[in-house]
Amino acid sequence: MNIKLNAPVSAAIAIGVGIVVLAGYFIPSINNIRFIFLRTGLVLAAVALLVGIINLLSVHFKKMGAETENSGYSLILVITLILTLIIGTIDMVQTYLVGQPNFQMSNWIFKNIQLPIETSLLAVTAVSLTYAAASILRKRMDLFSITFFFVILLVLLGSFSIPPATLPLLHVVRDWIVRVPALGGARGLLLGIALGTITTGIRILMGTDRPYGG
Amino acid sequence: MSATGFTGIVVIVLFFGLIIFFSIINKEPEQKNIRPIPAYDKIIQEINIAVEDGTQLHISLGRGGITGPESASALAGLSILKQVIEKSSVCDFPPIASTGNAVISILAQDTILGTSKAISVADQGRNPSGELVGVTPFSYAAGTLSTIRDDKVSANIHTGWFGSEVTWITTAGERQSTPTIAGTAQLPAQAIIYASASDPLIGEELYAGGAYLGAGKIHLASISAQDIFRWIIIVVILGGVILNFLGIDSLVESILAGSM
Repeated sequence: MNIKLNAPVSAAIAIGVGIVVLAGYFIPSINNIRFIFLRTGLVLAAVALLVGIINLLSVHFKKMGAETENSGYSLILVITLILTLIIGTIDMVQTYLVGQPNFQMSNWIFKNIQLPIETSLLAVTAVSLTYAAASILRKRMDLFSITFFFVILLVLLGSFSIPPATLPLLHVVRDWIVRVPALGGARGLLLGIALGTITTGIRILMGTDRPYGG
Repeated sequence: MSATGFTGIVVIVLFFGLIIFFSIINKEPEQKNIRPIPAYDKIIQEINIAVEDGTQLHISLGRGGITGPESASALAGLSILKQVIEKSSVCDFPPIASTGNAVISILAQDTILGTSKAISVADQGRNPSGELVGVTPFSYAAGTLSTIRDDKVSANIHTGWFGSEVTWITTAGERQSTPTIAGTAQLPAQAIIYASASDPLIGEELYAGGAYLGAGKIHLASISAQDIFRWIIIVVILGGVILNFLGIDSLVESILAGSM
């Protein structure tokens, strides 16, 4: 007879740890146990990052072999990942030998390669957001979309601080929109999200949703 | 125990009790008396199209982990992933899952393996894949773009934790003329999704995926429990407004502070 034990065991561990961590928020006497579990979770998450990097490499190795139009990007990713890993390791060895933090080469990569690239991408995001806002009426011509579009327009116009484009009335309207309907709407959405979060957590504590152990 | 802690325990115990209660009184495991959410209807429609056309679905789970406030949206995304894999088991090409967080990537692969075993997808080559495509917001978005641009992908489902980089992902879907169903818990990203996705999930709709995709009685019961709490919150807010209007809100506050 083939009895599978890993699913019930993993479910029992997950539910047990979840209940203790949740109870730790309300019962001060078991707070220490909660912190032990949380710290263990953080260490496991760090190990998962290593596993994830291996997964990332394997995914892009497969894409490189597929001869698609994006295979070149995968090749660049694999090369830069390996280079960064080697440079990071050299930095760590130097730090160990010198006896004080010495991450010059890694810092150079972050300052001169990653930071400019991410900043450029952020600039592209601004263009992409403008495009998305402008195209909403093409996608859905309903009351909510029209309202959304005109509110964006009003808030943008009200945010101008260059003197010729500054309109005091629009400033007042913008402030009112941000303080009253936008804040109220955001609170409403947050309440809904909080309720959804609680039910998701309870379903996991009940073992109904089990994103672990099959 | 603080008043906040006591309220927290009461809310969780009440929620738990209501979910059990509604799961007992709702005999039928099918969805009834819940308002239609077009995005979930679209997911079912797109699964059917993928089965007929021999295409595949792409599910991106965002870049949220499990140790922060973003965990619930990531777990809700995993629940939707499970349902989509179950429903699209007869597709020629299984769904692709992509994520920007290592832990969620492992959980996605586990969900995929578990669900594939449960629905007896014997051919391992046909198993859907769970990919970690990048670990920073922009590298994740850039990595997801190549999957969205794949001609075999007929629809994109983005459910999880996203920031403003979601605009890249959703507009890429639009450029490919493929439907984009998206939802997140982060408010600025929700506004972007509303503007750029063809079928947005607003607010708590993200967490209702299981109930709308046929995950069972408990999911439906949790929707009913949420509705009860929504009414309680409405009554409390209206009560607060009336007390404030009558000028006795500070009196009630001091009584509550004194009793705890």
